[in-house]
Amino acid sequence: MSQRRIETLRGFYRNYVKPSYEVAHKAREEGKLVAWVASTFPVEIILAMDIIPVWPESYASLCGARRVSVPLCELAERKGFSKDLCSYPRCVLGSLFNGENLPEGGIPRPDILVASTCACDTHLKWFQVASRIFKKPLFLLDVPYNVESANAENLPDYYIQHYVSQLEDLISLLEKHSGIRLDEGKLRKTLELSNRASELWLKVQDYRKEVPAPMGAREAFSAVYFILSIPGTEQAVDFYERLCGELEQMVKQGIGVVEDEKYRLVWDNLPLWFDLQMFPYLRSLGAVVVAETFSHVWTGSLDPSKPYESLARKHLSNMSNCTIEGRINLIAGLVRDFRANGVILPTNWGCRMMTIGETVVKRKIQEMTGVSSLILDVDSTDWRNYDEYRVKTKLETYLKTLK
Amino acid sequence: MELLEQFRALISTENKFIKGWKHQNKPVLGYACSYTPEEIIYAGEILPIRVLGSLEPPKLADVYLPVNVCSFAKSCFNKALKGEYRLLDGYVVSNSCDNQNKTYDLWRHCTAIHRTFFINTPHSATGNAIKFFYQELERFKEWLTKEFDVEISDENLKHAIGIFNENRRLLKRVYELRKRSPPLVSGSEALEIVLSSMMIPKDEHNKLLRALLEEIKSREDLPKRGARLLVSGSFMGNSELFRLIESVGGCVVADDLCTGSRYFWDLVKEDGEPTMAIAERYLCKIPCPFMYSSEERFKHVREMVKLFDVEGVLIFSIKSCDVHSFDAPLLAEELRENEGLPVSCLEWEHSLSGIAQLRTRIEAFIEILEE
Repeated sequence: MSQRRIETLRGFYRNYVKPSYEVAHKAREEGKLVAWVASTFPVEIILAMDIIPVWPESYASLCGARRVSVPLCELAERKGFSKDLCSYPRCVLGSLFNGENLPEGGIPRPDILVASTCACDTHLKWFQVASRIFKKPLFLLDVPYNVESANAENLPDYYIQHYVSQLEDLISLLEKHSGIRLDEGKLRKTLELSNRASELWLKVQDYRKEVPAPMGAREAFSAVYFILSIPGTEQAVDFYERLCGELEQMVKQGIGVVEDEKYRLVWDNLPLWFDLQMFPYLRSLGAVVVAETFSHVWTGSLDPSKPYESLARKHLSNMSNCTIEGRINLIAGLVRDFRANGVILPTNWGCRMMTIGETVVKRKIQEMTGVSSLILDVDSTDWRNYDEYRVKTKLETYLKTLK
Repeated sequence: MELLEQFRALISTENKFIKGWKHQNKPVLGYACSYTPEEIIYAGEILPIRVLGSLEPPKLADVYLPVNVCSFAKSCFNKALKGEYRLLDGYVVSNSCDNQNKTYDLWRHCTAIHRTFFINTPHSATGNAIKFFYQELERFKEWLTKEFDVEISDENLKHAIGIFNENRRLLKRVYELRKRSPPLVSGSEALEIVLSSMMIPKDEHNKLLRALLEEIKSREDLPKRGARLLVSGSFMGNSELFRLIESVGGCVVADDLCTGSRYFWDLVKEDGEPTMAIAERYLCKIPCPFMYSSEERFKHVREMVKLFDVEGVLIFSIKSCDVHSFDAPLLAEELRENEGLPVSCLEWEHSLSGIAQLRTRIEAFIEILEE
């Protein structure tokens, strides 16, 4: 089966990811402020203030892909951090306990840490531990839980007020530590770029609705980097413009990831970073992942004339801040829009958010779309309990049941 | 002591006070977390009772949940599936941890309890957070008023605060009895007393506590002397683990549990606007580790160590409890290095499966202390 590589993504790691670590390491030498940022934090504010963001979650996934994560997890476990905790913090904390032979010279050290309660307890607790280790301040954005899974327009006013008032505190703190005043004009510009990147990223997803789909999960889990980490930058917009251009051509020519698409899948949660070969393997069975929930939680339109309010609305309505209905509706919508006939629900051993309720998600998706799901008990970066043969057998058996 | 036995018997949804309350056609509301502002519920003549789970293996819940989920949350969900919380007229959850939040989804989708409320508890105690929490509590009041057709006036609230504060003061006096050696009440007895306070009307509990504090002065069957321990952890819905510790020579004289000292240590201010006073008390109390101010808890543990002349600390984390598991190594290090205290970190399951191994480790720890 012929498979065409997407040129825009060639050398992705070397061209984009690696340099981002070099920039952050260098920034420290130059005395620029470096911030550890947890996902679902409104990074646009960090970017607008020329503070260098470092994403410990991305570093963990990188360690997973390089297959160095398990020895690092073990180091954290030896320090007393439970094996049942999320493998991301175990991996990154482990890397702090040993400075040798780490990818990209180790994770750049922070001057300040910022996290929100939006996605999970782990963000707060992990960053608390790191804040103690580095003796650097931690700013916590307390995000009300979206109990009604309300969309961005229908959130209670006092939720928005609470979020916005904290952004004011955040900005004062960042100004104090960086010595840089937030330029409102620059923030507006950052939001505009973030919007543009968001639109383009959604356009990328639209191309994947075509049959055959021109891009799969292996590529998406790389390309999502920009919208996740540096949405409000020219670099993000430029990259997604090029990617859209290439995908448009592919769609016109009818080029797909798989020539004869037998199965179109939605992939929930994270990939197995240490076994990204899983996706080519799926392709060899005629299965292409056409959508990931992970690609659909970072977008959202921001109003540059109301920067704080719109950041609040975007993040409060993020699926990871919602009750299970938010996740069910997202997956069911993806199944319909992307004409998928299967859903893979990989759990993540240390992730309560995605593990609890998996059975309800499966049942509801079936009811709403008629499509069955496969729950895979795995971990994104810790392969110690991974049985490749068992997982592959499960996938193959599952695919055979799909219509 | 007979009175002590009585407290133990009250830790049940079948107790006579709940029955009596239901008999008067008054509603009973279950709650899961120590951040639930019970005063507001009680002010509406609704009885708040804590959902405590059980020791039973959660067979029904296992159908819905894998093993890597907090066994306490699972146990409560299991009881709800079995219909053992049929007596509840509703269930209240606080935004405290992922395990709690996400099993709330399952309660709504899979159990027969459909009247639920989720209190959006902030994770910090800043001015902004208190203001937000106040608004959230107003919303909670509104819900209670509508759902149960009750009145929650400021006067009722102040009355409730008075009764709850009285209960807290009395519980503290019970804890004081453990400062002496041997203590006048054992760790398991003290835990049972606190747990029973969550299962009956607080004014009734106050009566029982006053009687106990009088009677206990002449107690003859004193608890055994032993290594003086502080137990830190999250949730203990029964005294079995404490009894196990006592059976191998430990003497639990203090705790840092959300079903122990963290539940009652701090009072609500009695002057000023009552809902605001409640908002402040719950956000500023000795925090559970889901709060930003986690270090305040470490401080509380250090203070308890001094107040109760503690010789060793056992830190229990329920498996898959993220917030406690992240804190455990930090707290252990702090106690070892700054206080020079022996500490043992243990993981356990709420159902007490794997108890034999736990016993061995606790026994070994106590032996080291006694050397």
